Amino acid sequence: MTALLTTPPAAAAAPPSRRRGAFLRSVLRNRKALIGLVIFGVFTVMAAVPHLFTSVTEPNKLAFPPALPPSGDHLLGTTALGQDIWAQLVYGARQSLVIALVAGFFATVLSVLVGVSAAYLGGVADEALSMVINIFLIIPTFPLIIILATYAGKGTLTVVLIVLVVTGWSYGANQMRAQALSLRNRDFLESARVRGERRTYIILAEMLPTMTSLIVANFLGAALYSVLTAAGLQFLGLGDPNSISWGTMLYWSQNQQALQSGMPLWSIAPGLCVALLGVSFALLNYAFDEISNPALRPVRRRRATA
Amino acid sequence: MRLRKSLIAVLAAGLVLSACSGKSTSSTTTATGGNATGTDGPHKPGGTVTIANTTGQTWPCQFNPFNPAQNQEALGFVYEPLVHVSVVGDSKETPMLATAYKWSADLKSLVFTIRDGVKWSDGQAFSADDVAYTFNLMKEHPALDLFALWTGAGLTGVTAAGNQVTMTFSKPAKPYFYNVADQVGIVPKHIFSTGAAAAKPDTFTNPKPIGTGPFLMGTCGPNNIEYTANPTYWQAGKPYIQKIEYPAYLDNAPANNDLASGKAQWGGQFIPNIKSFYLAKSQDNHTWSPPLLNVGLFPNLDPSHAATSKLAVRQAIAAALDRNQIALIGEGGQQPAANQTGVVIPTFQKYFDQAALTSAGYDKPNADKAKQLLASAGYSPSNPLKLTVISITGYTDWDASLAVVKQQLQPIGIDLTVDDLAQQTFLNKLYTGDFDLAYYSEQNSGPSPYYELRQLLYSKNSAPIGKNASSNFERYHNDQADQLLDQYATADDATQVSIVKQLSALMLQDVPMIPTTGSVDWFQYNTSDILGWPTPDNPYAEPSPYKIPDNEQVMLHLYSKAAQK
Amino acid sequence: MRYVLRRLGFFALTLWAALTINFFLPRFMPGSPLQALRARTYNKLSPAALEEMLTSFGYKPHENVGVQYLDYLGHMFTGNWGVSIGSALGQPITQIVGQALPWTLGLVGVATVLAFVAGTVIGVVAGWRRGGTLDAILPSVFVVTSALPYFWVGLLLILVFSVWTGGWLPSDFNYDSNLQPGFNPEFIGNVLRHAVLPGLTIFITAVGGWVLTMRNNMITTLAEDYIRMGRAKGLANRKIMYQYAARNAFLPNLSGFAMSLGFVISGAILVEYVFNYPGLGYLLYNAVQNTDYPMMQVLFMLFTVAVLVSVLLCDFATAWLDPRSRAKG
Repeated sequence: MTALLTTPPAAAAAPPSRRRGAFLRSVLRNRKALIGLVIFGVFTVMAAVPHLFTSVTEPNKLAFPPALPPSGDHLLGTTALGQDIWAQLVYGARQSLVIALVAGFFATVLSVLVGVSAAYLGGVADEALSMVINIFLIIPTFPLIIILATYAGKGTLTVVLIVLVVTGWSYGANQMRAQALSLRNRDFLESARVRGERRTYIILAEMLPTMTSLIVANFLGAALYSVLTAAGLQFLGLGDPNSISWGTMLYWSQNQQALQSGMPLWSIAPGLCVALLGVSFALLNYAFDEISNPALRPVRRRRATA
Repeated sequence: MRLRKSLIAVLAAGLVLSACSGKSTSSTTTATGGNATGTDGPHKPGGTVTIANTTGQTWPCQFNPFNPAQNQEALGFVYEPLVHVSVVGDSKETPMLATAYKWSADLKSLVFTIRDGVKWSDGQAFSADDVAYTFNLMKEHPALDLFALWTGAGLTGVTAAGNQVTMTFSKPAKPYFYNVADQVGIVPKHIFSTGAAAAKPDTFTNPKPIGTGPFLMGTCGPNNIEYTANPTYWQAGKPYIQKIEYPAYLDNAPANNDLASGKAQWGGQFIPNIKSFYLAKSQDNHTWSPPLLNVGLFPNLDPSHAATSKLAVRQAIAAALDRNQIALIGEGGQQPAANQTGVVIPTFQKYFDQAALTSAGYDKPNADKAKQLLASAGYSPSNPLKLTVISITGYTDWDASLAVVKQQLQPIGIDLTVDDLAQQTFLNKLYTGDFDLAYYSEQNSGPSPYYELRQLLYSKNSAPIGKNASSNFERYHNDQADQLLDQYATADDATQVSIVKQLSALMLQDVPMIPTTGSVDWFQYNTSDILGWPTPDNPYAEPSPYKIPDNEQVMLHLYSKAAQK
Repeated sequence: MRYVLRRLGFFALTLWAALTINFFLPRFMPGSPLQALRARTYNKLSPAALEEMLTSFGYKPHENVGVQYLDYLGHMFTGNWGVSIGSALGQPITQIVGQALPWTLGLVGVATVLAFVAGTVIGVVAGWRRGGTLDAILPSVFVVTSALPYFWVGLLLILVFSVWTGGWLPSDFNYDSNLQPGFNPEFIGNVLRHAVLPGLTIFITAVGGWVLTMRNNMITTLAEDYIRMGRAKGLANRKIMYQYAARNAFLPNLSGFAMSLGFVISGAILVEYVFNYPGLGYLLYNAVQNTDYPMMQVLFMLFTVAVLVSVLLCDFATAWLDPRSRAKG
């Protein structure tokens, strides 16, 4: 107790580093997490260095004969307009990843900000902030997104990101508030207050580190939500149809009736990528839950392995 | 399974009505899609036509002919015009509710002789009073005047006397004959002068339309409208077809599936990959989609837009474009390439001036010339001109066309950005002149290129930047063009052709708009049982099911092969 | 009582907030109903004619914003929702919504309930048989299915069951258009066939979430003392599983279920879009495409009210079942 009191920085710094090592090990030991990480890794490489995967440099250019079947030159064939589907898929990874990470990040930041301040400030501030959180929780999100995106005129990346953040933070904020509330009266925060630390310091240095696992889980959840929602928006034609992304590919293939006119790969492949990216976030999230809550882990059965 | 069952149902309906059996689908000798003019004679009644035309909504079951969102379901089949004018058939006229008409010498007065012996479908007699009432209703309620007859065309009065209706105009009005005679459906005075219809004719729901047309609205539900033949139709023996099924389609895909399977015989929307998806499915499947208008780049000519108001820049763009490639890739070869004269061919071939096009150098793409022109304006591939073109989200074929345009302009030194906007935002910018380049098409076709060129070039259709222009969106002002367009109203046929050619010369000289492809009437048809369709050889009406009132003409020509046995 | 009042207050405030957003959003964004109508009529009408049309459709463009706002709130509550200015120009919105609502409730509602019931049962069994074969595979499978995009599952199903099989199952619309609606086996059978693929899409993507949360709740509950007590007392396994564990594990899921029921009428826009199913979601998509403001406003209001009502009912139900929650307020 006294040790904790006298050396807060060390105490705060040391456990996370230890935890991080342990965390990494448990991630590598968890099969779900591993699969999630591998999928995510592959997409990250695709997004960072697309030219490693395809020789096409301008995937939206109408450079080839239209509606070719899959072949050595065009792994997945070409679109009805004469674009290489595989190349579009590879280059499309970038925007989907950016949307997932950026929207996920800002939505999480917003939920931490609102949730933790509500819990920490208490009183009228908490009432007001909780009310805002609840309103955003209840307002039907997808219709709101559609209406917002339409009114905004055109679905540039920025518009899509803003819309996703605005509609995606409330669920996390609710959880943050609940956890922060349960932390509020813990001894280590009490002692920090007694020491006369500033509020921001207490929140940043004392409260947040203890909430890491919830924050990470939240980020993964928000990223999953963003991937699926953005793809849905673009599929409906509310994104920028000239951008390169999986959702946009789906929009074009749907408009050209790819399924019915014998080019199902045009439709199925980008959908599969969205699904895979979503699955990778979901797997990571679930695995993370298992790691922080050992009760949920699958029981290893000796019988089966023997 | 579903498709097969429905197909049998449709065939069965045809067989029952014809009271005859036999293998009607196996005889292919006459099913060449051809319906030479000789087949237009009297036919035995029978058969059902199913229309596959995407409307994107379920049916509201309202049949107000003045409501622009609903008149497709009412005009033509139920409400008829005075005279039908075939836009695609060199303005050939078919008298409908008027048997004859006569212009005064100054072309400011038009007298229609109204047909005798026509009855409304509720049994009441049709008369000249109904005609006068219809037009005067549009005066009283400007929202009904969908063609701006009382405001734009200069209509000043419509009166009935005996079997004659006299229309007076404030200026020579011959070019508006098409709107007056063909586009307005005549409504019954005894219905529209009482109750809800009289109080608010623009929002009147009209669930049970009473018309003079060849079909009656039989049953209507959200998913389907069924029209049945009008037994007391004034053209004895017509219509031959006894029933029209008009299902609601929310999307092109299901409509196209029904066309491909033969379940529906009359189609009116874009079919991607039409060769393999539709034509190859049956030798009875045909398509003929005639172009009527131009689609293209509207450059902003206002001096506040430095680049696009420069003639050399516009000339460079017009010279650089390979319109055949745009049509082939962007429109899948289903809308033909346009040309810089602004005359849509082959529909308006007689107005087309190939020599002028060639001598102006726009007959084929010329990248070198384009580069020189652009260099004279101060741009080059190393110092590219950055331009933005606005387009409408959801018009994917236009997006694809613009992708080709962008690719074609890049090597000459124009860096084109495509900006897709929600339709309303786009139109607002277009109307108020807030754009450099806009990709669009004039909306109203007519029986000669004059109608499009007037929308495009007439300075009265323009407006200062910031104000709504009605159709001269590029803001073109040329006194010579205005004079030519004014002259057209009183000119004879030969002079009209020469006026259009002079307007084409202005299109070539000033490049006020840069056409890329044609805008077509989408039309697909199946001849396994139904014959009599409009074809390039017999273009008696605009062929799309959504073209009103031409849909009536098509239905009056169609007949069932099975019923003839 | 205080609790009930608080919840009702929250209800009113949220509804007001949603309605207000709904009212001001279009007015802050570019465009206006006048322009929408101008576009709808292809710029053929004069401004005067357009205004006349709008006025007869119940719009008052020159009215003061405050008055418009109060009018609007009044109309929303009185069901005086006006007429569409989109693709169904002139058709009363109550009529359009009335036609679409049953289809959405039928399709999405049934699929949601089925997914919840199936998910809960599977979750209970998986949680109970911890370490069984089922429990080893199921969580991973359902993590995957719950992360799949709705519309993509729909596209896959269309490809497999409709395109590849030559129209084995219908892939669009609510029933064959050549049928007359009626209570006869042919029509009902046809409706059901049309509902299979979209229903399956919703089921596949929704069931995973219920399985996972139920399994986790079950595991947490099974660790509670009263379960151990029950076991020690020698109660039958079945009894412990259903009457003790499952019941308590089920309670937290109830509010989630209430929310998802509320989202039923709005939640399946993409499914209705993919399958061209003429329900409320499709209406919203169509209204957005055609900038049909009155339609969008009514739909958005309905969607919000649906969620609010179901959450409220669930709150009261929980408070009635579980006195502890009343204290928390």
